[in-house]
Amino acid sequence: MDVLLNVAQGFGVALQPINLLYCFIGVFIGTLVGVLPGIGPISAMSLLLPVTLSGTPESGIIMMAGIYYGSMYGGSTTSILVNIPGEAASVVTCIDGHQMAKQGRAGPALGISALGSFIAGTFSLVALMLIAPSLANVAIAFGPAEYFSLMVLGLVVLTFLTQGSMAKALLMACIGIVLGLIGLDSITAQPRLTFGRMELIDGIGLVPVVMGLFGVAEVLINTEQHIKRDVINAKITQLLPNKADWKASAGPISRGTILGFFLGILPGGGAVVASFASYALEKRLSKTPERFGNGAIEGVAGPESANNAAAGGAFIPLMTLGIPPNVVMALLLGAFVIHGLQPGPLLITQNPGLFWGIVASMYIGNVMLLVLNLPLIGMWVQLLKLPYNILFPLIILFTIIGVYCSSNNVFDVYVMIAFGVIGYFMRKLGYEPAPLVLAFVLGPMLENNLRKSLILSQGDLLTFVQRPISAACLVLAVVLLVGPLLPSLRKKRELVALDEGV
Amino acid sequence: MSNDLKTQNRLNNSELWGGLIGLALGVFVIWSGLKLKLGSINDPGSGYVLFYTGLLMCVFAATIIVAAITEGGPTFGSRWEDTRWTKPLLVIACLTAFAFALDPLGFLLSAIPLMVLLLRVIDPVRWSLTIPLAVLTPLGVWWVLKRALLIQLPSGIFEIG
Repeated sequence: MDVLLNVAQGFGVALQPINLLYCFIGVFIGTLVGVLPGIGPISAMSLLLPVTLSGTPESGIIMMAGIYYGSMYGGSTTSILVNIPGEAASVVTCIDGHQMAKQGRAGPALGISALGSFIAGTFSLVALMLIAPSLANVAIAFGPAEYFSLMVLGLVVLTFLTQGSMAKALLMACIGIVLGLIGLDSITAQPRLTFGRMELIDGIGLVPVVMGLFGVAEVLINTEQHIKRDVINAKITQLLPNKADWKASAGPISRGTILGFFLGILPGGGAVVASFASYALEKRLSKTPERFGNGAIEGVAGPESANNAAAGGAFIPLMTLGIPPNVVMALLLGAFVIHGLQPGPLLITQNPGLFWGIVASMYIGNVMLLVLNLPLIGMWVQLLKLPYNILFPLIILFTIIGVYCSSNNVFDVYVMIAFGVIGYFMRKLGYEPAPLVLAFVLGPMLENNLRKSLILSQGDLLTFVQRPISAACLVLAVVLLVGPLLPSLRKKRELVALDEGV
Repeated sequence: MSNDLKTQNRLNNSELWGGLIGLALGVFVIWSGLKLKLGSINDPGSGYVLFYTGLLMCVFAATIIVAAITEGGPTFGSRWEDTRWTKPLLVIACLTAFAFALDPLGFLLSAIPLMVLLLRVIDPVRWSLTIPLAVLTPLGVWWVLKRALLIQLPSGIFEIG
């Protein structure tokens, strides 16, 4: 009953005209960045982070959340029609989605992708509503030791799932922690690594770092090659899947939804991992696995549902524990902090309107996305024809403006350009930026919780293993760190390891 | 990546250099941590986490270096094989020039040439499209920010914008 009352309160907030407008802008931009290759939800959210300052916290966060789950919908359009993933979570959709389009079945591929996404998105919202308040009650009992261990686990999971060498990913995470510690020490107020520059006293901003590493670096990588676009030009008809399509897709949608939701909750996991895991699961369960890669609708339905369910699930650790499980959620945490709010166990009780308003707006956003993605598909196809040599100068211009507006400081533009160049060379040398960014956000919290734990326990390191949740997180982290040394686990890691998207 | 490219020249091994840069950064972080004072385990100081993170960085960098020496690694050249490597360099040059020009010249006077360069140097867009895009986009953005959002972009020594 309480939940229903809370949902009603949430809809009261979400249905306010201004919030509806922000929700629409969010899902529209999300679809747009999902459709356009070379710019993803991370770049778009960091670009728009300063814009959230102009409205209420509810409006800003509703818009940012809309960009995230909107991009999950939009990404599939590019994958299916052009064979270029609009964002990383849609990489796997290219495999069968584009084959279906080549066989003249672009309509059902797009249709099942949008409908599967809608079903999964709605399920994850119901689960978020039911799980988040209970988890928040449990999380109140968390002490600094639990928070520290959870953050360590999140970082280790992300490095485990990152493509390529785990040592490189761990090195990136360490560099991220160090970058996060630049500025005044929150306990002693001593400046650290500021090199005497006043601009660094408050630390490096999240927006220039993310925009540089993901936005500018991505542009630099893309300019290296001619982006070929094999756009399906045939008119797209019959978007609604037929009975046989539904029959084939029902199982993958259900499994993808549940799998995606739980993978979304896990620290370090997220939509990208979920889509790959769902594809692998469907292929393994299929009686005709040879159809995968040749236009199997299950290969579209499962991953697309999984990535949307994961997008919803990822809100749980952020909202209940205040810990962002991935880079996108770290940006959302930034949006909360900009408005002087701290997500965590007390958010739901202290700001019920905000929490339930965001949840309710996601229902509305999912419906908006269905409308945007099915009847307006022709518009998105036209957009795909925009050449990259026109698009990338615009992306650069908007990143510069976004970074400048986030702080009104030219220094941040320099930081962004520097991180863009660093990010380009990092990618060329096989160093992934995602662990760096997550560690950059978690670094100060990690340090605070470690120091608090040590002070409270009077320097007793056993405090981390005497508390069950903390011990469980650390054991899991150690298993994942040591695991890649075992050939069987290394093989599994290589199967799921992937590129975190832009 | 062919084996020839991987082990041809140890000094040109990009993995090795990546590891060495990581090691140098790790040593610098350890030194910074020590300089800031470690404190004690009962009361960790400002350099405590930095110091131990630096140590971890050195361990991971050493792992990368050992792997690069024992298993070899791709050469720098192979990383840029079959790519138009001059294009990102041009974009980096344009952005660096823009960064230097932004404060003294202001947003409009630096963004318009930046747009012209970016539209022309990579895969040249025809002039009839370049000029309107390069002029109207920064102008439009500047107008929206200044009038609608009341955000002042840098106006430079000429106070344009």
